[in-house]
Amino acid sequence: MSPTATWTVPGPGLPPEPAAVTAGGDRLLLTEVRLAPIGPADPLGTDLRESWALHAGRLGARPVGTTALLDEATAFGLTGYGGAHVPAAVKWRAAAAGSGPLTVVANGAESEPVAGKDGTLMRQRPHLVLDGLELLAESLGASRAVVWLHGDDEGARSALRHALIERPRVPGAVRLEIVAGPVHYLAGESSAIARALAGHPALPVVRRRPTDPAAPRTLVHNVETLARLALLARGRTPAATRLLTVLGDRRAVVEVDDSMVFAELLSRLGWTVAPQAVLLGGYGGLWASWDRVADQPLHEGRLRAQGLTLGAGVVIPLAAGRCGLRETAAIARYLASMSARQCGPCAFGLPSLADSCEALADGRPGHGRLTSVLGDAALVEGRGACHHPDGATRMVASAIATFDADATAHAAGRPCPASGYVGLPGLPS
Amino acid sequence: MRLRVDPVACEGVGLCAQLADRTITLDRWGYPILASELDERDLPDARRAVRGCPRRALWLEETVAQH
Repeated sequence: MSPTATWTVPGPGLPPEPAAVTAGGDRLLLTEVRLAPIGPADPLGTDLRESWALHAGRLGARPVGTTALLDEATAFGLTGYGGAHVPAAVKWRAAAAGSGPLTVVANGAESEPVAGKDGTLMRQRPHLVLDGLELLAESLGASRAVVWLHGDDEGARSALRHALIERPRVPGAVRLEIVAGPVHYLAGESSAIARALAGHPALPVVRRRPTDPAAPRTLVHNVETLARLALLARGRTPAATRLLTVLGDRRAVVEVDDSMVFAELLSRLGWTVAPQAVLLGGYGGLWASWDRVADQPLHEGRLRAQGLTLGAGVVIPLAAGRCGLRETAAIARYLASMSARQCGPCAFGLPSLADSCEALADGRPGHGRLTSVLGDAALVEGRGACHHPDGATRMVASAIATFDADATAHAAGRPCPASGYVGLPGLPS
Repeated sequence: MRLRVDPVACEGVGLCAQLADRTITLDRWGYPILASELDERDLPDARRAVRGCPRRALWLEETVAQH
């Protein structure tokens, strides 16, 4: 164990601030929170929920959802906040190209184990999320509107249920449903949600090009996307912020201007020693060396221009003295265990990839270690029904690139001293 | 045109690689790796592979540009 164990986050962190209307637009969170390192987004400390009275008092009545609203949101450039950052308009166009019954889904099933921003948003501002869902359902003529949650997210379910009781019923409006799906990692995947709502197991499915325009349609949006849409609908600008979950000795869920750089984010959260690297997006995300990101703003577009992404807004710093390859091997084993096992390349390829990663982390000598890790990754990528295996393969490839010096040493039979220790939460040790 | 496989339906039987051995190879676990684009001359074998798959996991489609 390293003497400079910097998983601890000393200091009080950022002071709480209420949802402020600043010159830069409306912020989303009422306050930042601290969570246990893993598990549902139940805040340590005060549990704030914005009541209907406060929500309506702050924002006024909800306008009716029309296609004009969607045009305005498109012009604004609203993107998704579930991880893939697809422009919302792309999904709306695809959904509109059909005549079958439409279900719109607010996806609150935050599957990345470390991610807590969606759970926090649903607990603090359920009415904003529900507004966005109602507006979308109205604008697109949906016959069903669902908030989709992980089965173990009691806190979000409770906040949303209380919110539904408070909300005035709009005559003729689609009734909002809260649906709790399974707990597993893939339960937040769009095609799995669509299948589950149609009465099938919540597992991903490959869509052959649809030939029937009257087939049922399902449109899935992350809850943060819908919250931002709800602000846009009232002619208010959502602030240019990111909701982030940053892992230290606990998780911090914060809302920061996307012009803030990584170094400032960590220093404000109490980090006094620079990490060696960060894992962005969660366990299915990408590693980057600290030097590469320290001065980069937390701005999705700017990061994408460098081949990086914050995904669902997760930042996991890796302290100097830890073994990035050991953490990667543990993550690879976790991701392999989360396979739906429907597709051969993923069901066989991810465990094989995890085996190679473990051999590398152990420093087991053998020529071609790096080649076999990267080869296993290349064989699996893009060959599953969903993007789960791709998350794993890209995470591993980014680890090899980021921890290149370690990788060379490990492959030559010289693993680093910390290579026996896994510090990241929720992983097999 | 290109061949597509539904990886959920596919069970790695491997008939496709026999029927269209120029454009389909099997990975070490027996699952098909498909070419990204087919020549005209590959189409008859590709159609045979589609028809021959015992899980009906293969289909042919026009290659479209991705956004």
